[in-house]
Amino acid sequence: MRSLTKSLSKAVISNWLRLTLSAVSVAVFLTIWWLLSAYLRADWPFLGVKPYPLSTYERLPYWWDVLRALGRSFVTNPSPTGGRFMSEHILASLTRISIGFALALISAVPLGLLMGRSRNAEAVGRPLVELFRPIPPLAWVPIFLVVFKFFWGPIAIVFLGVFFPILLNVRLGARSVDPVLIDAARTLGARRSTIFVKVVLPFTTPYLMTGITVGLGIGWMCIVAAEMLGGVGGGVGYYIFAANTAGLYDLVYAGMVMIGILSVLTTGVAGLIERWVYRWMGMK
Amino acid sequence: MDGNEVVINITHLSKSFTRERGRIIALDDFGLEVREGEFVCLLGPSGCGKTTVLRIVAGLEAKSGGSVKVEGKEVRDAGPDRGMVFQEFALFPWRSVRKNIEFGLEVKNVPETKRADVSKVLIELVGLKGFEDAHPRELSGGMKQRVAIARALANDPEVLLMDEPFGSLDAQTRNLMQKELLRIWSARRKTVLFVTHSVEEAVYLADRIVVMTARPGKVREIIDVPLNRPRDRTSREFIAIRSKVLGELEEEFEKARAAELSPE
Repeated sequence: MRSLTKSLSKAVISNWLRLTLSAVSVAVFLTIWWLLSAYLRADWPFLGVKPYPLSTYERLPYWWDVLRALGRSFVTNPSPTGGRFMSEHILASLTRISIGFALALISAVPLGLLMGRSRNAEAVGRPLVELFRPIPPLAWVPIFLVVFKFFWGPIAIVFLGVFFPILLNVRLGARSVDPVLIDAARTLGARRSTIFVKVVLPFTTPYLMTGITVGLGIGWMCIVAAEMLGGVGGGVGYYIFAANTAGLYDLVYAGMVMIGILSVLTTGVAGLIERWVYRWMGMK
Repeated sequence: MDGNEVVINITHLSKSFTRERGRIIALDDFGLEVREGEFVCLLGPSGCGKTTVLRIVAGLEAKSGGSVKVEGKEVRDAGPDRGMVFQEFALFPWRSVRKNIEFGLEVKNVPETKRADVSKVLIELVGLKGFEDAHPRELSGGMKQRVAIARALANDPEVLLMDEPFGSLDAQTRNLMQKELLRIWSARRKTVLFVTHSVEEAVYLADRIVVMTARPGKVREIIDVPLNRPRDRTSREFIAIRSKVLGELEEEFEKARAAELSPE
């Protein structure tokens, strides 16, 4: 009993320790930011040494100013940001990423399954995958913006970013199906189509979830860059680009922080869904 | 065995396949008759093709020649009339115990209430009451194999094919599972073809033991085990049969080793 409470309190302590370490890490980061901005803005010269004359861009804003700007961006819509509130930009980016993600999902899953289970499909698909996968999605930006314009262009780039992680993970999953499970299903009377639905699909699901999580992260990187190059059309990437052009640097940083928050949120949701799927499948 | 009909009829069965080093003859003129309700063990040195025989009867592998008939019908494909239990358990990890057992019935589109009735009886038969909703990762090796046996029985097959089902269990669990299998077998009276490399297991379980030769595998000798069940592993008769089987097997082991050492 004593050892139980002892080990229990040990677990509690190590939990607290880890929480504290995380808090310290954030605090150190914010402190360095604060000191760096103080120096760069010549508010607090380091040992009396002032920075060489800096452009406004190089004058790093204080982090609390960035947060304030981020808050302000939800209630004001100055003309350099397209006359839109931050919430509208978020909505624009989310719309693009959802469409691009959905298109990638419904095309990559069947293709991945096909390539994973059929050698002929693999022979057809593999050279194309090997050819196109190494090209960074952002390399397509100039072409896609001309061909697909400002709404579908960024979506097409997100599509490319999400497509390959899902395709490759699903293909790997479909290929790794334990052959003894298929043998077992056959001796239980299952035919090809039944085996596909009742064995291959559930076996591949955890791999698909990994592909989705990886794909979402890449999707955010793609959407922001695509919107920045896209110039018009709204979106958080566009917001950064426009604020930069107008010299509103605290808004540039505010946009960057916003992207971080959005990416963490969507990945978090994907993680929740993943855990929910595992529990539903009884695989923890 | 009161003159029951022949359920499995294997004649002149051969199997060969090609590897980089050339053509390998795994089975050559293998023949065997198994009667209804009989418990037959296949025993032989590793690589003699005993698992191959089982997989061909199951319909999981194609034969190169000869004939394999189950219930008078030539085997062409796997089917629910031949249940199989694998050494690796082969349970579906995303399905609960109950859902694993009901797999074959689902495939046959048996209505849900009927499926539940069947799985309930089987879960009780194999002693897994209370674990209906557990998933395979939560079960021990012995429990997993109980699920696999129940799953194979759910289709009410004519024949139960078992491929070293207790090979990955520890000695204690293994003995217990052998006893359990005999209990289940006497409750359901299936025809069983059981592959093992353990002489003791074969003598404990089988009505007849088929000792196979080293590759290419064929029948070396069939040994009857005329002992009443439950069998006492330490009785004089048990030990006598065991040493007879062991003697036969050892000669084949020697041959297998000699073949391995000699350059082809």
